[in-house]
Amino acid sequence: MSARSSTRRLTRRRFVAGTSAAAVAVAGFPAILRAQGGPIKIGLLHPVTGPISFSGLQCRAGAELAVEAVNAAGGIKSLGGRKLEAVLGDAESKPDVGVAQVEKMNEAGVAAIVGPFASGIALATTQAAAKHGIAHVVDVGVVDQIVERGLANTFRFGPGLKSIVDTALSNLVKINDGAGKPAKTVMLVHEDSAFGSGMAKTLNERLPALGFQVLETIPHATPTRDFTNIALKIKAANPDLVIPSNYNNEYILLARTMRQQGVRPKAIYSILGGGANLKFIKESPDDAAYIIDCNHWFDNRNAEAKALRQKTEAKGLFITYEVMLAHECVRLVADAIERAKSTDRAAIVKALAESTWAGHFMPYGPTKFVNGQNQGARPVNLQVLDKDFKVVFPPDVAEAKPVFPMPRT
Amino acid sequence: MRTLAGIALFGLVMLPLPALLASQVWLNFLVMTLFFALLGIAWNVVGGYGGQFSFGHAAFFGTGAYCAAVLQAQLGLAAWLGFALAPVAGGAVAGVVGFLSFRYGLRGSYFALVTLAFAEVLRILANSAGFTGGGSGLLIKLAPGAANLQFADRSGFYYLVLALVIAGLLLSLWIERSRFGSYLVAVRENEDAARALGVDAFAIKLRAIVLSGAIAGVAGAVYAQMFLYVDPGLAFGPTMSVEALLVPIVGGMGTVFGPVLGSLALHLLSEAGRSVLGQAPGLNLALYGVLLVIMVLFLPDGLVGLLRRVRRRFLRGRADA
Repeated sequence: MSARSSTRRLTRRRFVAGTSAAAVAVAGFPAILRAQGGPIKIGLLHPVTGPISFSGLQCRAGAELAVEAVNAAGGIKSLGGRKLEAVLGDAESKPDVGVAQVEKMNEAGVAAIVGPFASGIALATTQAAAKHGIAHVVDVGVVDQIVERGLANTFRFGPGLKSIVDTALSNLVKINDGAGKPAKTVMLVHEDSAFGSGMAKTLNERLPALGFQVLETIPHATPTRDFTNIALKIKAANPDLVIPSNYNNEYILLARTMRQQGVRPKAIYSILGGGANLKFIKESPDDAAYIIDCNHWFDNRNAEAKALRQKTEAKGLFITYEVMLAHECVRLVADAIERAKSTDRAAIVKALAESTWAGHFMPYGPTKFVNGQNQGARPVNLQVLDKDFKVVFPPDVAEAKPVFPMPRT
Repeated sequence: MRTLAGIALFGLVMLPLPALLASQVWLNFLVMTLFFALLGIAWNVVGGYGGQFSFGHAAFFGTGAYCAAVLQAQLGLAAWLGFALAPVAGGAVAGVVGFLSFRYGLRGSYFALVTLAFAEVLRILANSAGFTGGGSGLLIKLAPGAANLQFADRSGFYYLVLALVIAGLLLSLWIERSRFGSYLVAVRENEDAARALGVDAFAIKLRAIVLSGAIAGVAGAVYAQMFLYVDPGLAFGPTMSVEALLVPIVGGMGTVFGPVLGSLALHLLSEAGRSVLGQAPGLNLALYGVLLVIMVLFLPDGLVGLLRRVRRRFLRGRADA
């Protein structure tokens, strides 16, 4: 009996000792590691499952490649070469899950967060990150309100929607004028949720003042699989320009159906066209030919941009603007940490606010943030030429001249 | 009496948790668990006690969310007013849906389809109407402070949702004990028999759906205040309708604690999936789905039913000994 009770006492003691050791291991070691210069954690928060998972996965791939690139180049030099470590989070295409992931990243001790592709999620995650003072660099979300709410921690490297639409319309006028104003009439085809209807509303307000007559605005649901009626309507109205504002599948199906029905306007000109990507171009080069899209894109001539394209393709992925922007946002954060010489969140926010980073491959010039928005950020016009995406406007970064109007054959 | 004590105990256990929990992750987890429990309590009133399976509770949830958002973002009114009017709006939409469905004797899958259709109609209307912000949705101005029903600290929302869940539990308890609840259960069990005994099935079902819609409306307003953004897909999309019915089905339909247990189980499951398989996109959701199928297959009366069976066996075991 006494032997048994002594074993029990011993077990309990061992248990207490074991638990204490575990507690020290859990609570103590990370602190020691941090003090000794372990990796710097960066939260990469994207919707990698759910309806927008394609874009989320592309963003994640770009961001991870950037982490690898920064580490391969020697890490954060001002902190003794400390490496970056990605803390991955899946927002599951839902704002509430995005917020839960921000809370997790906060407790994981991230220095900054890059993400989350979608505007609806960004509105929630930037707010959640602000509570903890974590710098949140928005990679893609274009809704202007993201940077208009006075959140000091929120930065957007790419352009916002207003700036994109302004540039796209100004470029359209210049391209049209340059070709002798062949386009006068427009038809808008848009999906009926936030992105498409917002864009259609803006275009309906702005195009008449620029000398374009909007013949008709056709909304459609997402998903829509049969565009025959819409293509026939376009054929009947015979507009000079068709401006689609929809997501990947609908964009591609519309272009394909228009070609099948023999609808050949002078141009298909999209702004942030959902399906205007290399996957579409490679899979259906004839359907995609000559489409013009005003979108985020890197400077195709830049050596680092070319390298990223190769690395992305080596992974079996297509290079898309999501890869580019997420990649550069991580490098922007790395540059801020480098200058902050610290992983202190407030110091990183300050360094981002003062950022004048020119080492990126986007056609923006050095970064300059005003209320969190990078002032130099701008989209470019791309056109599907020779089965590839070529930058055709503005001239300072163009690698080819726009083919406008497109050949009628 | 035992259930009332259970609710009191639940409140006592939950009340100090924000102070005890150092982790904001777990606090956020609890807030979302309580939030979906509230939505489940709403569904449970008409689906659990009344046996009217709604597939479109997003219609009432979304109405509440838009009520809060439109009043603040478009009309510049106080957040608390939006919050107070959300149950009225949710209840009113539920009243219309209920009146039209029950008046024409829609039951079972027909009722489910009609509710689903109403949510879709509202989603399309919200997509096209100007005052709802169309497809772009509505953004509520960020202005932290209890006066604006925005809490800088997550615990503010925790106490708000906890209070609402406790009120919902008390309401469920009242339904179980009241004459109204007995009529509602009678309609669920055999509507024709209940009518033969003089129960006005139409009025009872209508009252239940209005009550349910009002609670879902409150949940909508809470969601709008938490994330300060509402769009047609978030508010009226099928996700919320599915969450609303899944929680009480897993927890135990027509029971007071079913929605709370269901919400806790589902969120723990989903969180465990994320923690274990979080790095592989989608695998956690697949695991979640498999476990859900297993739960629904083997626990037809939900977790509350399982607990009852375990308790019965335990008591029988003690009696045998």
